Amino acid sequence: MSNNGNPTPNTLEGGSHQAAPAPSRPYWIGIGLMVIGAVWLVNAYGLPQGARYAAVGPGLFVTISGAALLVLGAVLVLQIWRGESFQPQDAEDAVADAKMDKRAFLTALVAVAVPVATMGPLGMPFTATLSFVLVANAFGSRRWWLDLICGAILACASWFLFSQLGLQLGRFFPPLGF
Amino acid sequence: MDTLGLLLQGFGVALQPVNLMWALVGSVLGTAIGILPGIGPALTIALLLPVTTALAPTSAFIMFAGILYGAMYGGSTTSILLNTPGEAGSMMTALEGNKMARAGRGAAALATAAIGSFVAGTFATLALTFAAPFVAELAFYFKPTDYFAITALAFCSVAVVMGASRTRGFISLFLGIAIGVIGIDAMTGQPRLTFGNMQLLRGIALTVVLVSLFAVGEILYVASRYRSVPGVMAPVKGKLWMTREDFARSWKPWLRGTAIGFPMGALPGSGSEIPTMLSYTLERKLSKHPEQFGKGAIEGVAGPEATNNAAAAGILVPLLTLGLPTSATAAVLLAAFQNYGLQPGPFLFTSNPALIWGLIASLYVGNVMLLVLNLPLVGIWVQLLRIPRPQLYAGILVFAMIGVWGLAGSWVDLAIMFVVGLAGYVMRVYDFPIAPVLIGLILGPMAENQLRTALAAGQGNPMVLVSTPLSAILLTIAVLLLALPIFLKRLRAHA
Repeated sequence: MSNNGNPTPNTLEGGSHQAAPAPSRPYWIGIGLMVIGAVWLVNAYGLPQGARYAAVGPGLFVTISGAALLVLGAVLVLQIWRGESFQPQDAEDAVADAKMDKRAFLTALVAVAVPVATMGPLGMPFTATLSFVLVANAFGSRRWWLDLICGAILACASWFLFSQLGLQLGRFFPPLGF
Repeated sequence: MDTLGLLLQGFGVALQPVNLMWALVGSVLGTAIGILPGIGPALTIALLLPVTTALAPTSAFIMFAGILYGAMYGGSTTSILLNTPGEAGSMMTALEGNKMARAGRGAAALATAAIGSFVAGTFATLALTFAAPFVAELAFYFKPTDYFAITALAFCSVAVVMGASRTRGFISLFLGIAIGVIGIDAMTGQPRLTFGNMQLLRGIALTVVLVSLFAVGEILYVASRYRSVPGVMAPVKGKLWMTREDFARSWKPWLRGTAIGFPMGALPGSGSEIPTMLSYTLERKLSKHPEQFGKGAIEGVAGPEATNNAAAAGILVPLLTLGLPTSATAAVLLAAFQNYGLQPGPFLFTSNPALIWGLIASLYVGNVMLLVLNLPLVGIWVQLLRIPRPQLYAGILVFAMIGVWGLAGSWVDLAIMFVVGLAGYVMRVYDFPIAPVLIGLILGPMAENQLRTALAAGQGNPMVLVSTPLSAILLTIAVLLLALPIFLKRLRAHA
């Protein structure tokens, strides 16, 4: 078991205040939403807003969603500036107000990113096994060889089963051509 | 043919051995996922969507319905024994149920939850049986403008009711709508927001977004704040059956819970959190033993549990009769219908009665199966909690990536899984509601289609949107939903 579930607040960041569950002023979320809204609006500009018979063309909903995200992003920035609080959600197996375990988070993130690069060239069973080992490690398992065996069995069995069901999961291990 | 005749025909379908087997598979899977953390009914059905290529639609929907109902049964077990409600609807059950378990009355708490779920599930299915054909009949007269008004109302209520603030609710909703416009426009064939990528022409599938938000987002979030010390499980103690007094104190909350849960489940946005809270508050007010609330009152388990299950049946009314999903699970069920090229709505009742009535009949059958599975076998189910968390979450990611990769074998989908999964993590950390994204994604294109059809019929005159009494009323309610809280706030400030 890992020691990352320690409930004692670690106040390395946060100064003299009580350990905050999340940065108190996440302006970047509002700005990010405004950027998404702007991208959608720019794209909508190139689309017809009206159509010959219908009054509404394919651009209208793109415009509406872009404008809404732009405005809502700005409203969120304003709310954050006025001191809006953000409380992490409750989840089973998680302590909402615990400090973020960056190593565990990044390991799990790598496990999610790995398939983008390896799924095509190395196949689904290999990729799934690798991700399995990484996630188990992120959750504190240190018996990597056991995770490797468990992951490989699960990945191979599900590749076989789902392929039988008619799902196109690609070849078993493409580098060897089968 | 009258409703009873159609229902009997439905039982003829549901009781076929192959369909009974799928109902059992669904009930077992549903109970298991209700107990296991990290996965809910919406995600499970989304991961099982590929089976639609191999299964007949009736069998698939009978299995999905078993999962929907089973998850509600299973969720109560962890709430009572571990004090960890897997989903919002089980929060109230945990409040009293876990106190009962700690006081050595765990068996009675599990029994009132299971029997309450059965009673509510059965009565709510009965209500569904008679309400659904009636609503479907009405829906025949609905025009595109009415459908647009219904979706607009659904948007407003989902965004206003779900989540910590209206701003965050609307942000989630519009993110969903923004994702929904990606791909080829169905009416004009024009590519939208594809950024020159051929694979984005077909749009972003609901399964990819759902799996990424629910499974990947959850894995990243729990990993970053993992409680490696497991919760303390209360042993299943006490007589396995309820006492006469327990029954006397439970049956009214079961019925009241059904009456609250069913209609509220049918409304967009109310989910299971609000009705269960309402039921809990009502039971505390009506109880002859209000002093026991907070210390293990059986009414506080019986009422919310019944409400929870009745709400699960309630979501099927707008889904089957109007094709309108009011929760994340309903959105995935709609996607499953679309996989078969079927569109839920009034026409499905006439074009495919065997499917609709077989599905409704299977809900009765599934409820009986679930009672048998949950009441005497609860000791076996809790063994599932022994699965080590590292391997459990790793397994969830494996199934998530199979679900995404299996859709089209495209690395673009996997890249979207990464980005949307990361967004799911951020949404959990900063408390943005997740369900409105899915509602926006699935209802956005529907609203757009109805709006454009309505305006085309009205030759571009926007007044056509309020040209029928129903559309005018629904749009007025939608505006009121938005404006009323602001108005009340101002009124209070002036008072």
